[in-house]
Amino acid sequence: MAAAAEARGGDFPVGMKVLVVDDDPTCLVVLKRMLLECRYDVTTCPQATRALTMLRENRRGFDVIISDVHMPDMDGFRLLELVGLEMDLPVIMMSADSRTDIVMKGIKHGACDYLIKPVRMEELKNIWQHVVRKKFNENKDHEHSGSLDDTDRNRPNNNDNEYASSANDGGDGSWKSQKKKREKEEDEADLESGDPSSTSKKPRVVWSVELHQQFVNAVNHLGIDKAVPKKILELMNVPGLTRENVASHLQKFRLYLKRIAQHHAGIPHPFVAPASSAKVAPLGGLEFQALAASGQIPPQALAALQDELLGRPTSSLALPGRDQSSLRLAAIKGNKPHGEREIAFGQPIYKCQNNAYGAFPQSSPGLGGLPSFGAWPNNKLGMTDSPSALGNVSNSQNSNLLLHELQQQPDSLLTGTLQNIDVKPSGIVMPSQSLNAFPASEGISPNQNPLVIPSQSQSFLASIPPSMKHEPLLASSSPSNSLLGGIDMVNQASTSQPLISTHGANLPGLMNRSSNAMPSSGICNFQSGNNPYVVNQNAMGVSSRPPGVLKTESTDSLNRSYGYIGGSTSVDSGLLSSQSKNPQYGLLQNPNDITGSWSPSQDIDSYGNTLGQGHPGSTSSNYQSSNVALGKLPDQGRGRNHGFVGKGTCIPSRFAVDEVESPTNNLSHSIGSSADIVNPDIFGFSGQM
Amino acid sequence: MDYSNLRRQIFSMKKSLFDQGYLDEQFNQLEELQDDSSPNFVEEVVALFFKDSSRLLTNIEQALEKYPQDFYRLDSLVHQFKGSGSSIGALRMKNECSMFKAHCSDRNLEGCRRSLQKMKREHATLKQKLETYFQLLRQVGPRERAVNSWK
Repeated sequence: MAAAAEARGGDFPVGMKVLVVDDDPTCLVVLKRMLLECRYDVTTCPQATRALTMLRENRRGFDVIISDVHMPDMDGFRLLELVGLEMDLPVIMMSADSRTDIVMKGIKHGACDYLIKPVRMEELKNIWQHVVRKKFNENKDHEHSGSLDDTDRNRPNNNDNEYASSANDGGDGSWKSQKKKREKEEDEADLESGDPSSTSKKPRVVWSVELHQQFVNAVNHLGIDKAVPKKILELMNVPGLTRENVASHLQKFRLYLKRIAQHHAGIPHPFVAPASSAKVAPLGGLEFQALAASGQIPPQALAALQDELLGRPTSSLALPGRDQSSLRLAAIKGNKPHGEREIAFGQPIYKCQNNAYGAFPQSSPGLGGLPSFGAWPNNKLGMTDSPSALGNVSNSQNSNLLLHELQQQPDSLLTGTLQNIDVKPSGIVMPSQSLNAFPASEGISPNQNPLVIPSQSQSFLASIPPSMKHEPLLASSSPSNSLLGGIDMVNQASTSQPLISTHGANLPGLMNRSSNAMPSSGICNFQSGNNPYVVNQNAMGVSSRPPGVLKTESTDSLNRSYGYIGGSTSVDSGLLSSQSKNPQYGLLQNPNDITGSWSPSQDIDSYGNTLGQGHPGSTSSNYQSSNVALGKLPDQGRGRNHGFVGKGTCIPSRFAVDEVESPTNNLSHSIGSSADIVNPDIFGFSGQM
Repeated sequence: MDYSNLRRQIFSMKKSLFDQGYLDEQFNQLEELQDDSSPNFVEEVVALFFKDSSRLLTNIEQALEKYPQDFYRLDSLVHQFKGSGSSIGALRMKNECSMFKAHCSDRNLEGCRRSLQKMKREHATLKQKLETYFQLLRQVGPRERAVNSWK
């Protein structure tokens, strides 16, 4: 952003680059004319998906985005989230709908402003303030943050503000190393661009999967209610990270959790890995094991998952799906009602060693070898009666819905697969049986964390090491809680503990919220490293066939299988949680096209979370993965790999390799590495997380 | 050419459109955007609106037939129509859309049908009136049109 300002040579706001997204041609024309009158540089786009692609290809090409709320191909809120996560640009929402609750929703999703149609010139004349404000806040972050470079880590955090912007902080070397080169370049370029107030160019803090995992671990440890940035920072003990970074990240995380909690719509998102969708998301490499398995994750589901994930840095939950069948990542696609969204899958993390999950069927391109979830029926999973129910869901509900849906109606949903899912709050929902049922979608909130992976039933659980046995994540009965995100909800709703049991490792998305925090048992143990999204093993609700959920459990270092890291869109395949060994896949779906293109390196959204890992359980598990999946993934342009996979995407070792041996286990299908961690290149991580 | 007469007519017509509630302030905003570089801006936008809105009306009508219980869908379609209309300042239509939406939330199918009929009438009326208006404007020529003096 600042690029524009700089390019213009300080004539700001003249020439400020605005991208307007609205399906209404009349409105688009009028806005364009008005913006030109304001002397801005205007680009219009009638389709949200196309706009997202444009943004991804050219992150710095725009300073601010104005988007309609109600669009056929993608919910405006979802776009808002994705943009916020991936590109961190200010987004202004607009709508003819002036109801307070909708406006509130916009704010909660991170909109920096909300305009009521018809928009007047006077309002547009002022939009430049959002660009400046954001930059200014970011700078403040810089100044206050104690980046290593600055050595002012000790600066008192007087501003206990939680900047909405992702922490742009002077990252220290460690982050940098994680960053992909591209990202780094971008960041540096960003830094150079014009932030008038910033003096030093500090690299942005990239919330990689690992980092997010650490964050989640810390939050889990403290308890979501007691987690304050300062303490989290201390627990995380990451050099160069500042309190502001954490605060800002925490804020996002909280929003995500809330959202998940609210989305309880129970629209199940099938985690099916879209078989056809072939491209799983941006990750490309990552496969959602869980999702992939079935290959059928309807884009919507994935999108939903992804959205969910994206929405918040949640990780995808990887539900330990250990076997092929179990790992199904429910890719929930977000808004699919219109059918458009494809779920970008975050590619699951697969790489983890052995794919314990077997679940990742290679079949799906992106998804790991998850056992097929079966095609997700498009009917609503468990969704309610109205045919459009899903559709409705799509918009906001997303992800959660999916999970919820699964939970709620296990029977209806996945053709029975879900039933066994014990959804755990942690969000990793793994329906016991494959999640075929997930309807494609619509409603699934994009963010549904991939976690939902139908986990297999008992057998699955059985295989999980005792410690890991947690209650299945999916609480079939608990309606709410999206699998992934469920964090809040999940915990509340389900009895099972959240999957996340991060052992030591950072569980990226897993947050055990209070109560359910699942102790290490069962949840993915990230033993080695950060388990991205730990998926609770049992929790994964996955009963019989855990969808590609990642299980990060045990198994060694796993590559974190982040279930997916899909691109931002909804589907977070992250669900993969899987049981043991299998890396968790965070299914991430790219909003744009989920299918399959997972490029391991996906950019996991700023939360760095490559989703991949289905963080099991803990509510936030999806958090991470979601990030990854969420939006970040497909970031084609971005190289960020936060959280993705690179390292972590695979669910490291945790997964009990033995158990899962099923062929589908290989999480890493697409990613290529079976068992072994993903190539660092892809993710930019070296080694495991 | 003596535009004064024409201008008076145009002015009076516009005033009447406003007084009768067909148009609102947004229309003025559009006219303000018109200048030498885009002398026919308002007319173009209005034409675009009518083209797009006809399609929307058809969709709404079809939806009422095919999915009469799907109020969510209906609401969504009308919402689009409303947003579109509000962009050009079509006040009466916008209000009718609000009525329609209220019927949707009450799940009042009959109310929706009636509302749709009203919307169609308003749509047709406005279209005709604006066409007349623009015809007058064309007669005065672009330069004159761009002048907002007779607002």
